[in-house]
Amino acid sequence: MEVRFKLNGKEEEVTTEPYLRLIDLLRDYFNLTGTKEGCGVGECGACTVLMNGRAVNSCLVLAAQANDSEIVTIEGIAEGEVLSSLQKNFLTYGAVQCGFCTPGMVLSASALLDQNPNPTEEEIKDAIAGNLCRCTGYKQIIEAVKETAKETIE
Amino acid sequence: MMPPLGILFPKDLNEALNALALNQENVHIIAGGTDVIPGLNQESNRFKNTRLLIDINKMPEVKGINVGTEKISIGAAETFSDILQNEVVQKKLPLLWKSAGTIGSVQIRNRATLAGNFVNNAPCADSVPVLLVYNATVEIESLSSKREIFLNDFLSAPYKTKLNKDEIVTRINIPIPSKKFTGDFYKLGRRRAVAISRITLAMLISLNDNMIDEIRIASGAVTPIGTRFFDLEKFAKGKKIEDQFLKELSKMLGEQIIQVTGLRWSSEYKLPVVQQMFYQLLKGIERGSL
Ligand SMILES: Cc1cc2nc3c(=O)[nH]c(=O)nc-3n(C[C@H](O)[C@H](O)[C@H](O)COP(=O)(O)OP(=O)(O)OC[C@H]3O[C@@H](n4cnc5c(N)ncnc54)[C@H](O)[C@@H]3O)c2cc1C
Ligand code: FES
Ligand code: FES
Repeated sequence: MEVRFKLNGKEEEVTTEPYLRLIDLLRDYFNLTGTKEGCGVGECGACTVLMNGRAVNSCLVLAAQANDSEIVTIEGIAEGEVLSSLQKNFLTYGAVQCGFCTPGMVLSASALLDQNPNPTEEEIKDAIAGNLCRCTGYKQIIEAVKETAKETIE
Repeated sequence: MMPPLGILFPKDLNEALNALALNQENVHIIAGGTDVIPGLNQESNRFKNTRLLIDINKMPEVKGINVGTEKISIGAAETFSDILQNEVVQKKLPLLWKSAGTIGSVQIRNRATLAGNFVNNAPCADSVPVLLVYNATVEIESLSSKREIFLNDFLSAPYKTKLNKDEIVTRINIPIPSKKFTGDFYKLGRRRAVAISRITLAMLISLNDNMIDEIRIASGAVTPIGTRFFDLEKFAKGKKIEDQFLKELSKMLGEQIIQVTGLRWSSEYKLPVVQQMFYQLLKGIERGSL
């Protein structure tokens, strides 16, 4: 079936099987392999993308359900080669170790900052509660989000 | 692996009901898909042999949170995030609002619907005890019928409801409790986010001076399905809210839970926890109201 959507700012039109998951369409058809598959059942958040501005698990959305929507993956967060301030702070604060959770974390955090530019620590924790990180212990990630919010407010 | 199947996006309820009437075998409605998609992907028995999905998200009849003077009507395609963003729900149905915030993670709440939560009727469906104490009703339509029944009657057994194969849940209607009521919702889970809840309790109470005018109590996860405790509620009516009685009531709740569960293996350690939780809920309300 035909799926038309806006992907990282660009209108796209593809023919896919109706049972294909969004994550498979992004990785296998569009080669956007920044979106990771961890658990495949909605628990780890590695597959997080933005759908109409909201963070969703792309392993729990069918490609067909993305019709008419606007999808942003981690590849759409940087401006070309220039990292977003959130991404820069992830690096500065050591919030990236193996990096498997990072794309999902960055997308969850940027959805939060878009909706709530000045979040409390509790709100940050809640926003990334669906993203598992087995390396960092989350502290550095929370710091990076806090710093980004601070810079944006200033 | 996802099995090969088709998907329809009906533009209104009539089109969806027609599609359902034609294909009753091996068809599933899909709303948020947070139960259906992992179920299909993991080849769970409940979704075995599915050939067709009917996505309800484009249908205007199942959209919107409509606020009336006596009730709030929530469309079956409304997600937990939609509910959390609604200030009237937060004010008028605080227990529902609170329970919505405990579901899964942000990503799950952005997709998962309230209706999908109770149609799925898992023992751990967190919205159920809350909807039960609010006396919520479910609006259901097929091509040939339209009915509205209490959620309490709709839920029949774990993963089973009174929904017929040709029917769609269109809305959940929740009477706005009078201002006399206060209440609380409590969920004890394993982990902060994606916890499968082990114990949930919801309670609404209205006091007259120190006397219990009306109390409504429901549990989830400890009981096989979300359960109201009508006998207990009757017993408590008219009683004075004092420590000795609150202790007695908590003990009785434990006994009633044993009755409905027929002692499951996990009851032994859950039971004291439930009693303590319930006691704390009651105490919280006693403190708030005295
Ligand atoms: C990682 C993860 C964490 C979770 N955490 C929680 C949690 O903390 N608490 C909790 O309670 N649940 C939790 N869930 C379960 C799930 O998210 C909820 O049950 C959700 O509310 C289901 O809604 P949905 O719209 O996604 O349902 P779907 O998957 O779309 O549908 C669920 C079932 O209901 C049927 N259905 C849906 N809508 C209708 C309708 N309008 N008419 C007729 N039939 C319909 C479908 O056919 C299907 O059988 C979690 C799930 C995941 C994957
Ligand atoms: S892969 Fe989607 S949440 Fe884990
Ligand atoms: S950096 Fe390795 S999982 Fe988060």
